[in-house]
Amino acid sequence: MIRFIIKRLLLGLFVLAGVSVITFTVARVVPSDPAARWVGPRANAEQIAAARIELGLDKPLPQQYITYMKGLFTGDWGTSIRTHQPVLRELLSFLPSSLELILAGMLIAVVIGIPLGVISAVKKDSWIDQLTRTFSVGGVSIPTFWLGLILQLVFFRQLSLFPLGERVSTNTSLLYPIDNWTGFYLLDSLLQGNFDFFKDAALHLVLPALTMAAYPLGLVIRMIRSSMIDVLGEEHIRVLKAYGIPAWRRVFVYGLKNALGPTATSLGLTFAYALTSTFLIEAVFSWPGLGMYASQAILANDYPVTMAITFLVTVTYILINLLVDVVVAMLDPRIKLYQNA
Amino acid sequence: MMKKRSRNTLLLLMLSVMLVLSACGSKGNTTAANTGSNTGSNTGSNTSSGNAPKGGIAVYSVNSDVMTFWDPSDSFSNEIIAMHNMYETLLRYNAQTKTFDKVLAEDYSKSADGLTWTFKLRKGIKFHTGAELSADLVKKSIERTIKRGKGASYIWESVKEINVVDQYTVEFKLKYAEALDNVVSAGYSAFIFDADALDKNGEDWINEGHDVGSGPYTVQKWTKGSDLVLTSYPEYWKGWTPKNFEKVVFKTTPEANTRQQQLEAGEVDITNQLTPEMLKSLDGKPGVQVLKTEAFQNLTLQMNTLKAPFNNPKARQALAYALNYDSIVKDIMGGMAEQSTGYLPKGLWGQDSSLFKYSYNPDKAKELLKEAGVSGGKLSITYLSGDEAERQVAELLKVELAKVGLDLEIKGMTWDAQWDLAKSPDASQRQDLFLLYYWSGYSDPYGYLSIAYKTENPIVYNLGYYSNPKFDSLIDQARKSAGSNRDGATALYKQAQEILINDAPGISIFDLKYGYALRDNFKGFSSNPYYANVVFFYDTYRE
Repeated sequence: MIRFIIKRLLLGLFVLAGVSVITFTVARVVPSDPAARWVGPRANAEQIAAARIELGLDKPLPQQYITYMKGLFTGDWGTSIRTHQPVLRELLSFLPSSLELILAGMLIAVVIGIPLGVISAVKKDSWIDQLTRTFSVGGVSIPTFWLGLILQLVFFRQLSLFPLGERVSTNTSLLYPIDNWTGFYLLDSLLQGNFDFFKDAALHLVLPALTMAAYPLGLVIRMIRSSMIDVLGEEHIRVLKAYGIPAWRRVFVYGLKNALGPTATSLGLTFAYALTSTFLIEAVFSWPGLGMYASQAILANDYPVTMAITFLVTVTYILINLLVDVVVAMLDPRIKLYQNA
Repeated sequence: MMKKRSRNTLLLLMLSVMLVLSACGSKGNTTAANTGSNTGSNTGSNTSSGNAPKGGIAVYSVNSDVMTFWDPSDSFSNEIIAMHNMYETLLRYNAQTKTFDKVLAEDYSKSADGLTWTFKLRKGIKFHTGAELSADLVKKSIERTIKRGKGASYIWESVKEINVVDQYTVEFKLKYAEALDNVVSAGYSAFIFDADALDKNGEDWINEGHDVGSGPYTVQKWTKGSDLVLTSYPEYWKGWTPKNFEKVVFKTTPEANTRQQQLEAGEVDITNQLTPEMLKSLDGKPGVQVLKTEAFQNLTLQMNTLKAPFNNPKARQALAYALNYDSIVKDIMGGMAEQSTGYLPKGLWGQDSSLFKYSYNPDKAKELLKEAGVSGGKLSITYLSGDEAERQVAELLKVELAKVGLDLEIKGMTWDAQWDLAKSPDASQRQDLFLLYYWSGYSDPYGYLSIAYKTENPIVYNLGYYSNPKFDSLIDQARKSAGSNRDGATALYKQAQEILINDAPGISIFDLKYGYALRDNFKGFSSNPYYANVVFFYDTYRE
């Protein structure tokens, strides 16, 4: 297992190197002068030249790349051309809010999706299966942007059940402020015993998290359903029945365990993808997350930020893939990781 | 039996999830309620003398991040929306009276030649740092801004030197007789601040979300990408009344639909940048008021004067006749615009409504193109992708040009990309037509006319690459005499615009109007086109 992990991590380094070279080159060959952007439109040629030296853009491209990569591993992720702020600091201020949203969405997807998928499989072709399948197709195909607006209309406008957007209401953040420990509002407020803040932040999370959950929810239902149908038809499950193992145990312990593997894999990929693809949800719910930050950076040709986000997403992909493989191996004793190594 | 139990377990699980969700929901009412006045306990500020503000919290929902650059010398963007509540200038333009209100300056005078301006400062004004306003700090603020050379610091170009006459008197010596009242009241880079404290604390400190101004409000809390909370400064020199707002919140709400819902639900007092359709649907709704105001911004069609066919003035005039202005204003802009007269926005001094106005005349356009020898070919136009109005204007133009055999290729691009294209070293590579909005760092006719049409090298914003020494000298002359003879300057600006109308290097299509939607109990707000999107919250209150 350890050998497998080390091997995968080393492989990950190669992927990272490849991705960083490509992004760096693409970001730098586009016809746009970061130095000119840095000093603003009214700057004269000397100011631009000075900025070029200040930003290290006067050096040859390979050298810039090496400097950049060195910085990446020593905590200097460069400075944003658009905001003139250290990229790492900005990234870390937006990352927790995105993660909080994505994790909440994933949690909803798993908690609702797995039972629904199982029911669907067990009651194959019944009315409940038809309904669930419609629901899951809707989940994966509905535009999240539109879903967010509809949820706002129904739950905010008509029913006044949930707030319209933002992570927490201004009143709460002024009356019951919390210290920023991890940047996860729910976690921070819990750790600090600030339940007023917690309650408010949790309420604010519901609609964006439901919107976020739509796609993975549909995915989980479909994956679980189809794997469960396969698994339940297999001989070992029938043997269990013959042994008199109760139905719920057959389905939820023996069956589900076999069906979780593929679901975990695709869920892991969805997670990494969600890091930056959530910007539409973030826009609708005024959620200050990584997606918004990334889209602003791309529009402004802010290459240090684009680089950093690409880097972050790549690392997440690599780590999550690894994690998923390890988890799947633990779920399924038939998979032996060390044999691959 | 077994089967039934498993189903029950599942149902129970699902039910409990739904219950948890709805339980959370039922308490949601408290947050959805108005961000009213129940935060008094947290003000933590008590005026030592006079009244305290007890008006609660005002909320302004803005389409993008309000704060990026916190340095009052450098800021040249959205930041002014909040900064004009934290910082003050010597004078402020009054859009109603069309004169300058005295803010930090108690009085001011200029010499007969317009080369020396003297400002008397109010006494006893305190910055949020505790320092007192003095001539020395005025000098330091402006000199710092000039020295940094960022933002709109170029507005101070005419200033030769700044002298401290005494503690409360500051004198400006100018290189030429510019209208300095225009400059010291500018929206950007004209703030007076505690320059000592700023330099002592450094750039990182200010960018964490601090201010060193003298305005009515000071920073309480800034959550990047989310909101900025300002709180009343107890020792503000104009004093406080119970009607004043205690706090002001600027919320970043990128999505227009969300801003509209916030306003309808009474969660915010005011918002901007809604589409004409949204404003129409909001108009007349209970509790909501829609304001249509002048904005010193015009949509301009710049033509590449270095390249055929638009190196020929006749072809450019033809285009001016090919635009259906009424349809653009009415159908595309939904009335949120007005056809421009000349090249200065309506409401700015120097604007002259007697100037010649092009009108839609396709026959005349055809005739002029024929005279120019243009019979066919391919042209390109760029606009800011995502800007619906610009796209539709481009589409309209495409239809008109197709009638005379010209094929217009429409390209929506990001601002940087189209701007870089317009600055390509080889003029033939640049777009033929460029649709963009113009506004100026400070609201002076010179600012508007020079930014887009004065000879420029290297190219910055003169994106039709127009160069006419006569025009240049007229506006220079006007600028240099406006301080001593404004009527003379106005006449010169008129003359300069006549040249532009005839030469048509670009067309000012329309003057934009800003639409604000506000709660009808939010009072005291009047839009001031000098300060785009700024709400001076000290003047506002809730009924």
